Amino acid sequence: MTDTSEDARRQAIRQALSRSVGTDSGAAALAAAFFGLWQQTARQLEPVIGARGVDVLFGRALHLTSRRFPWLPTTGHGNSTASLYVFQTCLAGRSAPEVSDAGETLLLAFTGLLAGMVGEPLTGRLLGAAWTVREPDTLPQPQTQTQTQTQS
Amino acid sequence: MSMNPSVTIRRLATGVPGLDEILGGGLPEFSFNLISGPPGSGKTTLAHQIMFALATPERPALFITVLGEPPLKMLRYQQQFSFFDSARIGDSVRFVNLNDELATGDFEQVLERITLEVASTSPALVFVDSFRAVLLDAARPGAQSGNLQHFVQQLGVQLSAWQATTFLIGEYQAPTDDHPVFTVADGLLALRQTVHRNSMVRQIQILKMRGQATSPGVHTFRITGAGVEIFPSAIVRDDSVNTADRSPSPARGGRRMTMGVPRLDAMLGGGLPAGFSLLVAGPSGSGKTLLATAFLAEGVRCGEPGVMVAFEQTPSQSLNPAIDDMVRAGTIGLINTRSMDLSIDEIVHHLIGMIRRMRARRIVIDSLSGFELAVAPAFREDFRESLFRMVAALSSMGVTVLVTSELEDRYTDLRFSPYGSAFLTDAIIVQRYIEIESGLQRVLAVVKVRDSPHSSEIRQFTITEGGIVIGDPLSAYEGLLGGSPQFATEGPDGVTGRTTAPLL
Repeated sequence: MTDTSEDARRQAIRQALSRSVGTDSGAAALAAAFFGLWQQTARQLEPVIGARGVDVLFGRALHLTSRRFPWLPTTGHGNSTASLYVFQTCLAGRSAPEVSDAGETLLLAFTGLLAGMVGEPLTGRLLGAAWTVREPDTLPQPQTQTQTQTQS
Repeated sequence: MSMNPSVTIRRLATGVPGLDEILGGGLPEFSFNLISGPPGSGKTTLAHQIMFALATPERPALFITVLGEPPLKMLRYQQQFSFFDSARIGDSVRFVNLNDELATGDFEQVLERITLEVASTSPALVFVDSFRAVLLDAARPGAQSGNLQHFVQQLGVQLSAWQATTFLIGEYQAPTDDHPVFTVADGLLALRQTVHRNSMVRQIQILKMRGQATSPGVHTFRITGAGVEIFPSAIVRDDSVNTADRSPSPARGGRRMTMGVPRLDAMLGGGLPAGFSLLVAGPSGSGKTLLATAFLAEGVRCGEPGVMVAFEQTPSQSLNPAIDDMVRAGTIGLINTRSMDLSIDEIVHHLIGMIRRMRARRIVIDSLSGFELAVAPAFREDFRESLFRMVAALSSMGVTVLVTSELEDRYTDLRFSPYGSAFLTDAIIVQRYIEIESGLQRVLAVVKVRDSPHSSEIRQFTITEGGIVIGDPLSAYEGLLGGSPQFATEGPDGVTGRTTAPLL
């Protein structure tokens, strides 16, 4: 993985998140934006690499991310949805910069693992539709923690 | 109103070198095909290669992975091949993974999902990879194999009806596997790999392809960075049938080709008939390669490009300066292989390609002994038969072939080839060592030129800086080839006698 490609992915993550949160830069909005982007990413990847493939990569990404953020869980919880819920729970009460940093690091680790497996060009193709810049009103509505708990 | 009742079946070019040829002209559109073979035999690679060759935005492909290798791994390794084009994923190629559906064991659900995916995107090409685990699962005690059979048959029927060219990839033990899917399938492509001693040979066989005449037999293939390359087995044409369809062999036996060795043309009855195959047999160091070099150099002089197939096993070993010069000048082509796992078909494939590129008229294979060593052990059993096919294939192209053969000097019997293959060639020159006055001398004789008078003399020859120099007949000796050469003397009464000076 080159710095350039990692920078490009970081840039894409920031753009997607910033468009999602709009003017609200609060911790809750950031967490919701992160969750929405993750959902799109998983939805895009699952048909191709399977839900199990997504889970495995997410678990590993979470493990790597927790090294920088000791307050995060160190391992996945069976599947990416459950792990994400734990991750979100951990974000609660954290400051906006912490949420932004942790969310970005997690997505960067995840896409980095994917790129490490299948290469940057294919990663770009696979994530292309998920990370396409969309108007805020077409984005999935941010889910509250309560909604997430109900779903899980 | 005139009507043509027969449907026209379009044939798709698979993009796999050699595959269209053995399929009988390509893959029938809308056919349902099985690609079978053991793990590592190249099934997925073959499928991907076909997919990337055929898929376009207007003719999209759907690649469904079902309990085969993990999709991440598949994508990781398949993109190492040059045909894998990431840029076409999405528009032309779509991957779908159904592991999760199959994990439930509900085949109906899997079938439904496949149907849904196909219905939603209307792909022109559908690949399902693979069903190994499904079949294994069905074989375990208590499994509902009836469901599985129903599932596979249903899938086959559905795939056939989707106006898509479809492929089911699996580790079936075709053709012995008594599985209903074999009945449903239009095409059966069986891949296998065998390891013999230290070499591995990959082979493909088209067991079935409805509606077209496939190339029978087993064909070898190789997997390189460019993917699968098949070397169709050289087929010997039957002269007794379809003679009207045959293109006439160009001037076979009509024109004579000069050999580039003074006096040899005269020994051959005026040169080697064009299109003939000539075996030059002799012991090590007797001058076979030199004769072959002269043959090629003479071709260059006459404006007849040549190709040399050599089997030098030492990388640093140069052939000979004359060959090197001609190769560098581009006047002859050189195929020098040190591989030890070749099939004869692979060599023939490369050779025919070079013959066409260079418009070559003269071919040298130096030597059969090296050739046999280079061929994978698995093919050595059929070496003689393969040689026959090779010579026939080259002969049908109208090229003139010179083959050298290492032959241990034997003075108790007369042999021309260690392979019993002397009958394969149209002409034979044999070289031998003899002893005269405590020195080794070389002799040669033209043993055979098919349908043509030729010299029957045994001539001494020497190797000089200028090449082979053929001397006069050794008429003073007799029994040169028989093990008890005698110096022939003429007695006072004019009757030839013998001295007691055995040569060897």
